[in-house]
Amino acid sequence: MILLCSGQISLRHLDALLLFATGLREAGYSVAIDDRFAPAGMSRHQKFEAVPFLAAPDDITPGCIVIIAAEDISEEVQTLLRAAPPPPGTPVRAVGYFETPQARINSRNRIAYATGTEPEVINRGTPHSKQLIEAPVVPLVTAIARAPVQSEGARTSLLVYMPEDMLEEEGVLHDLATLRHAPRTDLHILTTAKGKAIIRQSRHAGLSVFGYGELAPANLLTYADVFAFFGPGIPGERMAFLALIAMGSGKVVIDCTTSAAFKTAGAPALSGPEHAAALAGYLADTVAGSRREIGRRILLDPWLRACDIATLTESLSLRPSPAASPDERAPATVFFPTNGVGLGHAQRCALIADGLPGESAVRFAAFPSCTDLLRRRGYDCMPVIARSDAHEDAFAADLINYLRLRDMLAPGDTLVFDGGFVFDSVYRVVSELKIPAWWIRRGLWQPEHINPNVLERERAFTGVITPDEAFPELNDVYSSGNHIHRVGPVVRTDASSPKERAGLRKRLGKAFNRPVDTLAVSMLGSGMASERTAQVQMLCSLMEERENCLHLVVVWPHAVVASDFGQWHNSFAVRTDQTLSLCAAADLVVSAAGYNSFHELLYAGIPSIMIPNHATYLDDQEKRARAAADRNLARFVAATDLLTLQREVDGLLDGTVRAEIAAAFTEVPLPERGNNAAAELIRGVNSR
Amino acid sequence: MTPTIAYVTDPRFPGGTSSAIAAELAAISDMVRPAVYGLSTAMFRDREDAPVLTDALAALNLTLIRDPEEIAADIVIFHNPACLKFQNTPGTRIIARHLIVVTHENFLRPGGHEAFDVANCLDQIAGASVALTRSLAPVSDANRSTVSDWMDRHPAGARWQQTQDNWPNICDFDLIAPTARPADRRGRHSRPGFEKFPSRETMDLCFPSDAASSVILGADHLADDPDRPPHWTLIPFQGLSVAQYFDMIDFMVYYTAPTWHESFGRVLAEAIAAGKIVITDPGTAQTFQGGVKAATPDEVSDIIAGYIADPDRYQADVRAGQRSLDAFSAAAFRRMFSDVLSRSGEAVL
Repeated sequence: MILLCSGQISLRHLDALLLFATGLREAGYSVAIDDRFAPAGMSRHQKFEAVPFLAAPDDITPGCIVIIAAEDISEEVQTLLRAAPPPPGTPVRAVGYFETPQARINSRNRIAYATGTEPEVINRGTPHSKQLIEAPVVPLVTAIARAPVQSEGARTSLLVYMPEDMLEEEGVLHDLATLRHAPRTDLHILTTAKGKAIIRQSRHAGLSVFGYGELAPANLLTYADVFAFFGPGIPGERMAFLALIAMGSGKVVIDCTTSAAFKTAGAPALSGPEHAAALAGYLADTVAGSRREIGRRILLDPWLRACDIATLTESLSLRPSPAASPDERAPATVFFPTNGVGLGHAQRCALIADGLPGESAVRFAAFPSCTDLLRRRGYDCMPVIARSDAHEDAFAADLINYLRLRDMLAPGDTLVFDGGFVFDSVYRVVSELKIPAWWIRRGLWQPEHINPNVLERERAFTGVITPDEAFPELNDVYSSGNHIHRVGPVVRTDASSPKERAGLRKRLGKAFNRPVDTLAVSMLGSGMASERTAQVQMLCSLMEERENCLHLVVVWPHAVVASDFGQWHNSFAVRTDQTLSLCAAADLVVSAAGYNSFHELLYAGIPSIMIPNHATYLDDQEKRARAAADRNLARFVAATDLLTLQREVDGLLDGTVRAEIAAAFTEVPLPERGNNAAAELIRGVNSR
Repeated sequence: MTPTIAYVTDPRFPGGTSSAIAAELAAISDMVRPAVYGLSTAMFRDREDAPVLTDALAALNLTLIRDPEEIAADIVIFHNPACLKFQNTPGTRIIARHLIVVTHENFLRPGGHEAFDVANCLDQIAGASVALTRSLAPVSDANRSTVSDWMDRHPAGARWQQTQDNWPNICDFDLIAPTARPADRRGRHSRPGFEKFPSRETMDLCFPSDAASSVILGADHLADDPDRPPHWTLIPFQGLSVAQYFDMIDFMVYYTAPTWHESFGRVLAEAIAAGKIVITDPGTAQTFQGGVKAATPDEVSDIIAGYIADPDRYQADVRAGQRSLDAFSAAAFRRMFSDVLSRSGEAVL
């Protein structure tokens, strides 16, 4: 393993370490970054990029130590090198851009004094090799592909880098946005965080925009075949590195900078227009029909060849890691359900997983609240960590989950994520491993959830599977395209017979030591989304008045509702995921209107009273419950309306309401379930 | 007729170079009245002249001539060419019968790597000078061997010859009598540079926890080490006068990074004069020809224990060491310098 250090400790140098480490890893080298070189003040993006590489020098046995940016080695770095010198016999190598022989000697001396080991020092700055930017601290080198790594077909994925101040110029954003409508062109924009905000606040908010540090350059590569750089020049090492590795992959780089920065450096970039308005025509005339041929020629360019990472690694005497022995395991499908307030995401994933062929290797990455359920259903489960206010960084748990997902997944696997917001861990691991991935995204979001920042992460996925709602008016469309696949509601069905239901009631009676003439089940959520104590207590009091009554209050794992029902004789809290069987056997079901509960009740034809939860981060339960009530498939009770609740309970248990709802179920057709269709989509990817 | 003499250096050298020049100027003051030239090289930006040199010039009523267009004398003595390592021209012309460049710094480090861009520095001087003879004058035998090795392997070396005698630092310190009751009080002092300090493993051998005291002057970097041993007394560079420091020790134990060597070892001479037993590596010890104890780090504690058990031998060896400093006295320097003056007429191309 190569242990990387840098001549100074700063965010800029860390960025350089990350770029170089990524380049080495992509070229087949085993590489780590000395964690003492990670400075304070790292951004969220930097932490995600860094965490797979960081290692304490005491924890690894490096094959060699490589110091980058060796042209200026600070005292702080010398102190660190002195404090943890390389193990005896471990070679130390340094690379830098040295303007004079004395600068190189200085570097060698400082390393030799600090480590006690003579380093080998490589100069990347020669009079004949002009760099893309002045005085870079990262070795600007790239792996060079044998053939252009570009997508097949006539469509061209275009990534445009544009600085924020240019985006503010009148008409520029409009011109850029029109590219989205250019024939056979998929447009992505790369800009700063501020630039991204400018776009999001404009009428072109729906554009696909990457923030400057949102993904590592190596991961951005997969999103485009053509890269166009606008602005006065090349804005720093990160963009220079992106352009360089794009060229090294045989992608097309267009120099639209006003200073002709790429051409001036001698890089094999096309000279493009300085104005965004002219880019569409330029692409059509110059690039579209010949991008692969342009890529081939770029790969043969002598300037690019001088940037070959193989030349540097050879001069540093680095050896790639031995090729890993072929992984014996079959490609796996890994489901990662987010942690909602209930178990809905995990339930839905399990239902789809059930639809995969029996021989499929299926695993789950799941939050602790879901692991029991999934394991009971026979699925191997890797636990992931839930967010906590106790963590120093709000994203600390996701950072660890990112590492776990990286370890869990391998090329050839498929990741299936179910949730409303795609975690950084998922977004990054999919982009990094370049694996097929599906996003299961049910609809009916609250309006504040529908924004481009949430939807833009679709681009990381092979496709989006949107399980429909039972009723058409509930199926909002948030995005469109060939990658969006609607399937019927993904829902569990009750296969129990009347005899089995009677048997269940009998067993319950025995368990709770009573005859059960009336079985009531209430499932009002975990209490995290909405406070439901009043409704639960109301139901308990209503059931208390009935003889031979058993009222089961379903409590989700990690629920915050009171579970002490000691003062009631007929009401008991139960923790179970066998809710559908209970409901099917019950005389009264009072439920929230989450996607799973709602559809399970509908598809099982179970009459119910629905009290929607209404937290802003939930789906629109009220709309869902009203849709069922409007069709007389359930009774709707607002959370605040306790008197109505009493009336509806009486109506269901003592009146004709139950029969009326049962009759309505025979009249209202429901769409076909989407469980298998979703599984088929995922299978299709697996079998490709 | 006494030849004319010119001294050339960057007057901002902070350590041994300026001290050596100051001592030389004083030593030869009744033999010649040199002109003294100061170059403002790129090595020392934003630094003042070394006080020791300023004081010496004032005491001798000599004027420092800064950045002259031309330096002309029968003998031009250029002290420490390394000051030119960050530039491409010395910014002056030198005309001399004999141009002597005193090589205060080793040209090569252990392992043979150049310690600085020697060719650039010497080529600047050679290119800017008209001289019948250009000589490199090493400050010690150890320094001489690095100069010889460099000249052997580098084409630019052919433009230079070596002086027959070394051009040593004058070590005319007041001699202090050794203690009659030596204790295991150890110490070392130096500038805080990483090259001046050995590995932690070696430091642990030199300054173990069972020593009565271990005083490390110039320990700026060690003070930042969270794992530093609690029994070390760490004092930053110039945090204590050298005299106060010597009062705290009976043994000077001095090792450097294995990748660097002293060219002369002025700090060792100071310790000898202060009446201490000095222990160092054999390479550094050779300059003092028996005046210091050559040892490996793992031998240090036994050597110290032996002296503590035998105070008479301690005193005898300290006094012997002090006698070895005679080779670096002002009188010895004057003899060497007198030879240089007398041979100046022999200088030929």
